[in-house]
Order: sequence, then structure tokens, then C-alpha cells
Amino acid sequence: MALTTQRIPAVLGRLPWRTIRDATVFFLLLALGWEAAVRVFEIKPYLLPTPSAVAVETWNSAALLWQHGLITLNEVLLGFASAVILGVVIALAVFFVPLFKRTLYPLVIALQGIPKVALAPLIVVWFGYGVSSKVIMAFLFAFFPVVISTLGGLATTPDNLLEHFRALRMSAWDTFWKLRVPSALPNFIDGCKVAMPLAVIGAVVGEFVGSSDGLGNLILLASGASRTALMFATLLAVTVLSLVLYLVVELLGSLVWWRAR
Amino acid sequence: MKMDNIITKDAEGTTRADGPRGSIVVDRVDKRFGGEAGVHVLDGVDLEVADCEFVSLLGPSGCGKSTLLRIIAGLESASGGRVEVLGRHVEAPLEDVGMVFQTHNLLPWRNVESNLALGVERRLSASGVRDLVGPMVETLGLYGFEKRFPHELSGGMRQRVAIGQALIRDPRILLMDEPFGALDALTRDRLNLELLRIWQAERKTVVLVTHSVVESVVLSDRVLVMSDRPSRVVEAVDIELPRPRDPKSIRETPAFGECVVKLNRIMGL
Repeated sequence: MALTTQRIPAVLGRLPWRTIRDATVFFLLLALGWEAAVRVFEIKPYLLPTPSAVAVETWNSAALLWQHGLITLNEVLLGFASAVILGVVIALAVFFVPLFKRTLYPLVIALQGIPKVALAPLIVVWFGYGVSSKVIMAFLFAFFPVVISTLGGLATTPDNLLEHFRALRMSAWDTFWKLRVPSALPNFIDGCKVAMPLAVIGAVVGEFVGSSDGLGNLILLASGASRTALMFATLLAVTVLSLVLYLVVELLGSLVWWRAR
Repeated sequence: MKMDNIITKDAEGTTRADGPRGSIVVDRVDKRFGGEAGVHVLDGVDLEVADCEFVSLLGPSGCGKSTLLRIIAGLESASGGRVEVLGRHVEAPLEDVGMVFQTHNLLPWRNVESNLALGVERRLSASGVRDLVGPMVETLGLYGFEKRFPHELSGGMRQRVAIGQALIRDPRILLMDEPFGALDALTRDRLNLELLRIWQAERKTVVLVTHSVVESVVLSDRVLVMSDRPSRVVEAVDIELPRPRDPKSIRETPAFGECVVKLNRIMGL
């Protein structure tokens, strides 16, 4: 397999530094504008805190955010991992077993039709206030893109390469591992990139509905206490969590640089 | 372990006695696409190819010469008739047959070395694979390009790797379906030269599908001309030019010109 680990530093080297610089300046200007607007129009802090107040709150509540962030992170990772594992297994089953294509696949599509946010109360009733109900919510959000992208990837294996493998008398096993899997990987990675932020949404929704901790719950608590700055700080933490996880998937995905023709 | 057994059995099963019949025998092969009412492509094709003979299938495009080659390769089934390769009835691709396609079919995620290794890595150890890949890189003139990926190679180089993928398995029979069809004339000439060199060094039975008269004369012992659909072999022309041939100087000889003129006349050009 042509997976070269040296490609990760190569990716860092190719980061768009100019974009990063310009974006940073732009965001700083936005924050300044926000700060000025709140001060000039004397907006009440419980409606809209200044960015500086949010920054101070983030600093003061860092330990709290970290503690709840770790809980949410744990839920997201467990939900995402189970979505990837089960998603790939189901995609393989649907792709290779015609009976599953006629039974399991329509079920997956039907389940995708249910608004998953509306499922959250039911999941909490079934699985309680603990970690498991959030993991299941994260899983439900992330599962579908993994299945669809993996299925799509498996179907993109070029016919001419399949014929070439037949001419080379490759076994079904080799055809799977040396042709179908590498051909499907780019699509699979794309699916994971979609699934990761969705898993974060799923976990936070789960925490909204029934939980005693996690970042989603912290937003509810801050809201109840009218601590709008803390709400913003928590929102920031969720965003950073989601972005970092996405970048990790992106970075791992850059190992798969090819596209089957 | 299991794999080794199968290969030994294969080698024993294929008795190397060639007898009076050639290493490839095509007997009244018929091919229709889409049933009786469909397209009639091959109309009772008969041909034989002797051991170590280089034969070209020449014909107008769409005449079914590629289909015939694919039937010989065991990639497609005939609607009627029978194909025997090395004394065995062909139903699926055989171990001793290598196929080169018009498109190169390299794996984009494998570099040159690793693409070359594809067909042999299952039955050999890592060092065994290296022992084959190194010399093959030399033979193909790809020294220094071992670590390049297909998208980093020119069209001619990719096609060379594709030929190497087939050659590295050391097949007794090499089937080539317009392997240079997609290349420019200059690259094509150069690869013809290299193909001649490789073939003269290590004789194999070769069937080459082409629509280039010049290419067929430069390379072949015998050229089989096929008619339009429904297609059959209308004429066999022996190319009695001395070997080893040099593709450049041989074109200047009168005998070469005669062969080309003759084939052009048969093809109605």
C-alpha cells in the first residue's frame, strides 16, 4: 500500500498561510465592530455580551468548559466511531448481498427520513440520562453519510480495473482489498468529513434533551442563569471542538490522495 | 500454502507438448451481442497461432477483433465455437496468458514498482518480487521512475508499465489489444521498437490487435486480416522479413513495402 506518513507534514507545508493571515485580520475586525456596536448602542449584556466579556468569561470558566468539553468529546468520539464501524459494515452488506439491498437498504433510507432531533426524547427515555443516550444521538446523526458515501465509493470501482484484475486471475479477496477498498476510500473519507460535525450536533442535541453534564447541558444552565457570556463561551467551545475534530479527519483523509478513474 | 498447490497443479495440468496444433486454436467462434436479433460480431472465425509466433489481427475499427481477443483471453464467452489455449478449453482467464489493454489500467494509488508487483506479489516472497521488479524496470526503460505514480508518468510510460505488468508473470502467451492505440505516432514507434527487442530476447506467443498496417508488418510473423461485421479472417499474410528486425531500417526494404501494399489492397485502402 502506498500510504506514506511523510504526507502529513507535506499537508502542513501546503496550508494556505495567506488565507489564514487575511481571515485572522478579518475576524479581528469583526470582533472590534461587534465590541464597538455593543458599547455605542448600550446593548444589555444579558442580550449580547461584548467579545471581550466573552473572552474574559471563557478564561474564567476554562476549567468548567474543559470538564464538560471532555464529556461531550467522549460522546462524540464513541458515536462517530460506532457510526463508522456500523456504517461500513452495513454498506458492505448492502453492496455484496442482494437480499440486504432489498431489505436493509430501504430501512436505512426510511430511518434517515425521521427527523433525528425529534427522536432525542425517546432515546433519553430508552437509554437514560447517562452517556449512552448521547452516544446514540451522535451515532444516529453520523451514521447515514458514512453508509451512503461508502456505498457510493464501492460502486465507483472502475470496470476496466475489475476486468484487469480478472485477467490477472486475482482472487476475490485480493480484488476486495487491493482494488475495491482503495477505490472506495476517497468517497468514504468525504462521508467521514460530513459525519464528524454531525456527530457533534447529535451529542449536543442529546445533552439538551436529557443530561446533567456536557457542553449542551452547560448552554442550558447558562441560559437558565441568564449568563449570556457563558452561553457564548460554551458555544465557542462547541465550535472549536467540532472544528478540531473535523481537521483531524481532514488530516487523516489527506493520506488518501488518489481518485480512482 | 494453498495458493502454491494450485499453481503447481496448474503447471502440471498444462502439458507443454505442443503437437501439430498451435498454442492457440480458435474453432468456428461465433459472437452475437444481444441474442439472435442482436449484433452479429464474429461469424465462425477460425485461426491457429503456433508456439512463439507473433500474429497481428488487422481490420477496420469495430470489426470485432478486440472481441475475438477478449474471447481468447477468457474475458468474454463465445456464442458458438470453441477456443483452446495451450491445449485447454478457455472458459476463464488462464494462468499462462497475459493481457495488455488499450487503456493502461494501472492502479493510481500504486507507484511503478508496486504496480509491476501486482500480478506476482501473491505467489512470491517480498524478495522474490524485488528480484523480478528490478530487471523488469530495466527492461522497460523505466529506471529512475520506480517510485513515480501513474499520474506522474507520460502516456507512453504508463503503457510500458502496463506491458510490464503482463510480462512480469512470464506468460507463454501475450495478448495485446491495441496497446499503443492511444499514443502519438512517435511514442508508438518507439514502443514498437522496444516490444520487438523484448520479444526477440524472450520469444512468446503474441496476438496483437491493431489497426495500423505498418505496425503489424514491423512486428509480426503473420498478419490475419479480418472483414467488416459479421467478421471473419479473410486473408492470412506471412511477413517473411528477416529477424531480428530493426523497425527503422526495415521500412526502407522493398519486401517491407510489398507487404504494406498487399495488406492495404486486401483492406481496400
